[in-house]
Amino acid sequence: MTAPTAEAPTLSGRKFFMNFPVTADSHTLAAYRERGGYQALGKVLAGMQPTEVTKEVAAAGLLGHGGAAFPAGRKWGVVRLNDGEPHYVCMNADEGEPGTFKDRWLLEHVPHMCLEGLIIASFALMGRHAFIYIRGEFDLPYRRMQAAIEEAYAAGLLGENIMGSGYSLDVVLYRGAGSYVCGEASAMLASLEGKKGWPRNRPPRLTVKGLYQKPTVVNNVETLANVPVILTLGAAEFKKTGMPRSPGTQMISISGHVKRPGVYEVEYGYSWEKFLYEDCGGMLEDRALKCVIPGGVSTKILDANEIKGVTLDHNSAVAAGSQLGSGGMIAVAEGTCMVRLARVIQRFYHHESCGQCTPCREGMGWMERILDRIVRGEGRPEDIDRLYHISTANDGTTICSLGDSAGYACSAILDHYREEFEYYITNGRSMYDGRLALADPFEGAVPVPMYVGAGSAS
Amino acid sequence: MSIDPHVTIDFFINGTPCTAYDGETVIQAARRAGVSIPHFCWHPNLSVPGNCRICMVEVESDNGDPWFDIGCNMPVTAGMRVLTESDTVKKLRRDTMQFITLNHPVDCGICNKSGECLLQDYHYEHNGRPSLSIDRKNHATKFYPLSDRIMLDNERCIMCTRCVRFTHEVSKTHALGAVHRGDHSLIRPAENADFNEDVYSDNVIDICPVGALLSRENLDHARVWYTKATPSVCPGCARGCSIDVWHRKPEWALKALDPSLNARIERVTPRENAEVNGPWICNKGRDLARIWERPRATTALVGGTPAALDEAVERASQLMAEAARGVVLVSSWGSNEELASLHEVLTGRLASRFTARVKPDHVPQPGELVEDDILIMADKNPNRRAALALFPALEGEVAAAVADADLVLVWGEGVTDADLPAGARVVRLGSYQYETALRADVFLPISIQTERDGHYTNAQGVVTAFSSCFAPKGDVVHAEGLFQALAGNRKALHRVLAGAVS
Repeated sequence: MTAPTAEAPTLSGRKFFMNFPVTADSHTLAAYRERGGYQALGKVLAGMQPTEVTKEVAAAGLLGHGGAAFPAGRKWGVVRLNDGEPHYVCMNADEGEPGTFKDRWLLEHVPHMCLEGLIIASFALMGRHAFIYIRGEFDLPYRRMQAAIEEAYAAGLLGENIMGSGYSLDVVLYRGAGSYVCGEASAMLASLEGKKGWPRNRPPRLTVKGLYQKPTVVNNVETLANVPVILTLGAAEFKKTGMPRSPGTQMISISGHVKRPGVYEVEYGYSWEKFLYEDCGGMLEDRALKCVIPGGVSTKILDANEIKGVTLDHNSAVAAGSQLGSGGMIAVAEGTCMVRLARVIQRFYHHESCGQCTPCREGMGWMERILDRIVRGEGRPEDIDRLYHISTANDGTTICSLGDSAGYACSAILDHYREEFEYYITNGRSMYDGRLALADPFEGAVPVPMYVGAGSAS
Repeated sequence: MSIDPHVTIDFFINGTPCTAYDGETVIQAARRAGVSIPHFCWHPNLSVPGNCRICMVEVESDNGDPWFDIGCNMPVTAGMRVLTESDTVKKLRRDTMQFITLNHPVDCGICNKSGECLLQDYHYEHNGRPSLSIDRKNHATKFYPLSDRIMLDNERCIMCTRCVRFTHEVSKTHALGAVHRGDHSLIRPAENADFNEDVYSDNVIDICPVGALLSRENLDHARVWYTKATPSVCPGCARGCSIDVWHRKPEWALKALDPSLNARIERVTPRENAEVNGPWICNKGRDLARIWERPRATTALVGGTPAALDEAVERASQLMAEAARGVVLVSSWGSNEELASLHEVLTGRLASRFTARVKPDHVPQPGELVEDDILIMADKNPNRRAALALFPALEGEVAAAVADADLVLVWGEGVTDADLPAGARVVRLGSYQYETALRADVFLPISIQTERDGHYTNAQGVVTAFSSCFAPKGDVVHAEGLFQALAGNRKALHRVLAGAVS
């Protein structure tokens, strides 16, 4: 498979990340510097106060890109710089949401940009140590990030006295062990501390008691990668991109039944339909679009009608009844059996439920068993209400939001396609029998390594 | 969060004004106010994990949009209006109970915890409905030996992690952990620790809210509703932890089988005492039956041959009247009452001729943990502090202290024949069968702690009461009256003889 940027048509709007041709060494420090890399860091270290950096990020209106879209500047602003405690910044690179693989692109192709963002964020919070928690299954991203850190240390961009400014920072790159819930910030910190990846109760918030019980800011890869952009452009200029309440761009990873799946950078406010039908080339075999999972399976699905006229930004996605989430979009073509889709999603949640708190630990398995039974043709009419009941009982009763999300995912599918479930239960078979017969565009293709001979680091 | 009882916060529970201390959570404040909020994972002496979600409460807000959260992790704020019995809260509890019992086998009929199980209680209190699920339950390990003492049933486990937190926060052995994810999570021993080495391990049996952790020794011994708890004090060391001694209720006495089962210690559990031991005791305390149920001496002996109790007491009393340089070796296992009685005699009738020394009855056994910074103390006797308040301590060897005595009265254990001077008369008061009794001039059987009421003063000076569980057998008499009789008090002699069973 080739890099999606190569053949994707240029989208309207500005690009912060996918604005250079990907080559065998476009991820290195030298290449990044040529594109203007680390100038933002230089500017920050040369003459800005930590609070000014936070103010700039807050003024830019940068939203978190991990899924919840919490304003990054506000998160940073909670940490009191003069409380005498060490502060930590953690980059959340444990990208595990099904359908989401945009951070992977950033880690593979612009690791230095992510790193620069991390250094600037640590400076803004006066942290001496920063952490990168990277998903264990990420191999190339891990090697690229490791190489980037080594390059940065060698170039004096990390370690003691960065760029002669007197500011020092050490970065720890930590690999996860394959747990989805470790992408939840508090579970991630528990895992970083060497404990079982179980989320923590709030209060206290992580910005009060996080890693090692010290104030900690956890930001997504893409959020941090936006930081050097903001400081280069200036908050006012950054705010002009995208939409007023969702400034900037969103990396969207799209998979499913589209002709050109892959990672795209979209300026907020871009038309959703245009994105699906033009940029992604429409559905495979020109089938009709049945529904879209907007941002990872934890967000509520939207059917083809609901995305008509909707733009890709947080406010319009919420107005349409869902969220933009982490930008992991999955397009589903007409002819797909939603019962089995729900079962696949539910199996994932059952497998990944951490087992700490009761509703999710027991509810996920229960929902999967009910869906399994329906798919086996042994469903009962009361099962649909039972699924709703379990979803509701999980809503707001769990420690982290995994339980809520699983409930939303299932109840949204039930809301939209209840008749498919009823048909399956009544007739013991799907409304859409057999596999979705679609020609595989990669049929017979031999996987080629992305970058042959790109040096030992990659 | 630390609690400051000097700063109070006013708030409301179910419309009733309540006062919380600064730093308290809703569940703590409610508990002090006498409002019970159901909880599985929360324990007053452990950290707050928020796992079980059964303590969900409602907080009313002025805009009419209430919010819900777990009471165990919710700090009390001024004026907050908490509802613990609203319809939504009740519904949430019912739902949570459905989840908790979803994979629980509900095998109360054969479960040792049945009758004192939180899950059972809460089911009747907050749910009462059969499971809504028609699908199979998850299966997991049954009878998994966590240690030589504790059996784990993973199917009954509700993953509250109280046991894990106990080993991390109280006993600090870090011997337990949770493995795997989701509804396949299991409690397991940690790879780099040995739960056998946790001398407080049995506390996890008590704090387990369900029947997942059970004592291997007491497995299937007795239904809890056939037994009752008598408050007592652990004599295992100078800490004097408050305990409950569980034994069969007299109204449920077995008429068949071995009648000794009716006078057996079924188990020992801690009795909460904030001043001394909190809610914990060590494993030695659990095994008190091994101390108290050693073969008992129940017959009086004169010159090594069985004799009638009155004869034996007369003989001992006569020997003591004749003695010119008597020494009493005072038991540090005697109750405050017994010590007072002995003191009265020694300062009264026997004052000029007898002296007394307090001896340690028990010393640390090989392999026993001598001392730690949690509960266990180096002095393995329960009442030495009270004894030393009345009598001088035994300094150095026993033999040196009694070298020029012409009569030695040995009360309790810990003195061999070799310690005693060859020419002196020996009167022994003991509870257990020792060969030394045969070589004493007179041996008189006395009661043990489970057969009498009394008080101990622990090393910190806290006085704790204990009560009798069983009636004394055979010629066993209480030392308290016996001292008076031995000193020649005829009334006391009659009382002692009347009190003995045979």
